[in-house]
Amino acid sequence: MDIIVCLKQVPDLQQIRIKRETREPVLEGAPFVFGAFEKNALEAAVRLKEKHGGKVIALALGTPKLKENILEALAMGADEAVLLTEPAFAGGGAVGTANALAAAIRKIGKFDLILMGEGSADNYSGQIIARVAELLDLPQITYVRELQMTNNRIHATRDLEDVLEIVEADLPVVVSATSELNTPRLPPLTAILRASKKPIAIWSPSDLSLAKEQVGASVAAVKTLSNLAPEQERKQILFEGDVDKAADELVKALQKEGAV
Amino acid sequence: MSDKVDVVVIGAGLAGLAAAYHLADAGIETIVVERGDFPGSKNVTGGRLYLHPVRPFFPSDFWNDAPFERAVVKEKLTVLADRASASLEFSSDKFRDEPRHSFTVLRAKFDQWLADQASAKGALIISKNKVDDLIYDGGRVVGVKATDSELLCDCVVVADGALSFLAEKAKMRAARAPRDYAVGVKEIIELPARTIEDRFGVGAGEGAAQLFFGAITAGMLGGGFLYTNRESISLGMVVSIEALAHHEPHIETPELMETLKARAEIAPLIDGGNLVEYSAHVIPEGGIRALPQLVGDGILLAGDAAGLGLNMGITVRGMDFALASGALAARAIKDALSHPERNAVESKEGAQSQDSPLPAASLAAYTQSLRDCFVLKDLQTFAAMPNVLDNARMYTKYPEAIVNILEKMFWIGREPKDKLSATVLREAVKGFGNLDAVRDVVGMLRV
Amino acid sequence: MSANVKSKLGVNAYKVDPESHIVINHDVCKTQCQLKFCAWVCPARVYTLEADGLIHIEHDGCLECGTCVIACRSDALTWRYPKAGQGVQYRFG
Repeated sequence: MDIIVCLKQVPDLQQIRIKRETREPVLEGAPFVFGAFEKNALEAAVRLKEKHGGKVIALALGTPKLKENILEALAMGADEAVLLTEPAFAGGGAVGTANALAAAIRKIGKFDLILMGEGSADNYSGQIIARVAELLDLPQITYVRELQMTNNRIHATRDLEDVLEIVEADLPVVVSATSELNTPRLPPLTAILRASKKPIAIWSPSDLSLAKEQVGASVAAVKTLSNLAPEQERKQILFEGDVDKAADELVKALQKEGAV
Repeated sequence: MSDKVDVVVIGAGLAGLAAAYHLADAGIETIVVERGDFPGSKNVTGGRLYLHPVRPFFPSDFWNDAPFERAVVKEKLTVLADRASASLEFSSDKFRDEPRHSFTVLRAKFDQWLADQASAKGALIISKNKVDDLIYDGGRVVGVKATDSELLCDCVVVADGALSFLAEKAKMRAARAPRDYAVGVKEIIELPARTIEDRFGVGAGEGAAQLFFGAITAGMLGGGFLYTNRESISLGMVVSIEALAHHEPHIETPELMETLKARAEIAPLIDGGNLVEYSAHVIPEGGIRALPQLVGDGILLAGDAAGLGLNMGITVRGMDFALASGALAARAIKDALSHPERNAVESKEGAQSQDSPLPAASLAAYTQSLRDCFVLKDLQTFAAMPNVLDNARMYTKYPEAIVNILEKMFWIGREPKDKLSATVLREAVKGFGNLDAVRDVVGMLRV
Repeated sequence: MSANVKSKLGVNAYKVDPESHIVINHDVCKTQCQLKFCAWVCPARVYTLEADGLIHIEHDGCLECGTCVIACRSDALTWRYPKAGQGVQYRFG
């Protein structure tokens, strides 16, 4: 069983700071990582492979630094990687990203299952699964928290917040993972060393027979006008001295604000 | 089957990355293991890097694209009494000549760049992984243990920083003595580039370095520092851990920082700035006396882990030592690996010898090369420095004496003034005319 | 003072391991250590001497400098680096 896992390189959100004056996020220097849900997808793929055989291909989109990031995916158990790192792919939004992924999946050709995260760690538009499934004319199963394969059919439990829906489908199918699906493994040192020897292909838009008009900023359907942290106003009141007294004062102040 | 590489470098700091760069450049399979999220994420400097000492160890165009903050063109030394201070400012066109003398740096950015240089040469840098222990075979180091895995190698470069738990595990250095270490605390305060250039009177891309001694450490060995970065100021304090532990009344380390920032000499320099990071790091200050064993079978120490730091009072160094020691470690390993005798043994055992750590004797050239260059020469020359600096009079009495003289000179009161010569002489005798001062001067003359 | 240090630590990036990398053997600390250096040498005020004579730890603000482990003269303190990828992540350094 051959599985393709789609991964998006994003800046580590925990390392991003907000510039106080402008409220802009500072991305410079923040290391790149893969989103948590994508690691759930990859872990699920590796577990299916370990049980049923086959291979896992990591298909990732991002900056040239992906060559380093992808080692983690390969160390977790992907067998080979395809990277889309050309600047021409960047800024394409959901449309451009789905076009690029679908074209790369077509070029890979042989697959039984496509796995991705339920949403990316940065934009979280959650559109890619539907768009890729549509472009490839495949069924999709979203928000999956349990996943098994028996007799070449996929059995999945979908997490619909107040409802759990159990579905099944024939292969090939596109599946998106939630964090409940599994706990991704932390690859040991030696696995990363071995990962550095696994095959990595880097494909450009022309490798995918994609025209300029199909990827990159020109196809982005949604334009980001501003990306700022919400305005925060702090009262900066400090109640000092006797703890009991200070607590009373705090409660009074909160009541006055209508907070309690 | 165990995995094996030629060399494992522990720690992606300047020493480890310099070693990895040169090892990979020589075609030696090298892995750098870094416990932080990325190279530099656990590293802190004051900081300024003196570049001239390390230029011979790298290609001449190596530093052209390095993400330095500012080229230091102005050096300022400020002596602080309780309510007064005296400063000496030194600027020279020599500091503006290319290639530049020294640069301020921020390590999170700088170390990532250096890691990229090592990667480009073929070194594999693995972040978010921690080496917990070394693997031994009959007393020789043959590999490293990380979480859930073991990796064998011919040589381990221990560059895990000032605390170097691994040098301790390898019994290469004695228990850490508080007198051999200082703690540094630092705030990064963000300010617009133009504000920095205006406040410090420097041109675009140029920077200033300032050191502070005296009342701010309450008699403890140490001082304050300020370095200008592109769009921030690094402001901090360094104090001997021994002095801090025993100071009466107790001073909490964070308070030292507040004392410094509240000084009238400093507050306006950081006014309106935003605190964007608060960091702390220990610094080896034991000098040559506290030097650990640098080489063992299959292992060598570099950078802070080897105790290579030097506080000379007016200059504080460590990063240049780290870069040089890493480069020299790589050279020693390369020579040892390609030694004809070793290859004779290897070919007898088969090309893929599974456990052949480099014997200490074959790595001894490392220690010798450190002795032959500025690293251990400077540590030797300034061997008396820790003792000279560890003297409460340097931080209390003498700053007071100096500002007293200057105050008498500059102050115009109601009374008629004495002759300048008489004033200076009287105050100088009061401040320095005693046996302790003579002894201290003699001590200083030794360095 | 304490609030001040806390707000300073608040600007740093941390990946906090719920499990503390700092462990104090309170029996040893209480009976063999009169000095309690850790209570004031730590730049992050990780250690607080409580009224009951015990040292209280808040490991999540640790700056990983190791000043405490150098200053501590008893065997009460076990201080390791946090697990890989955990703890403070300096964005400037």
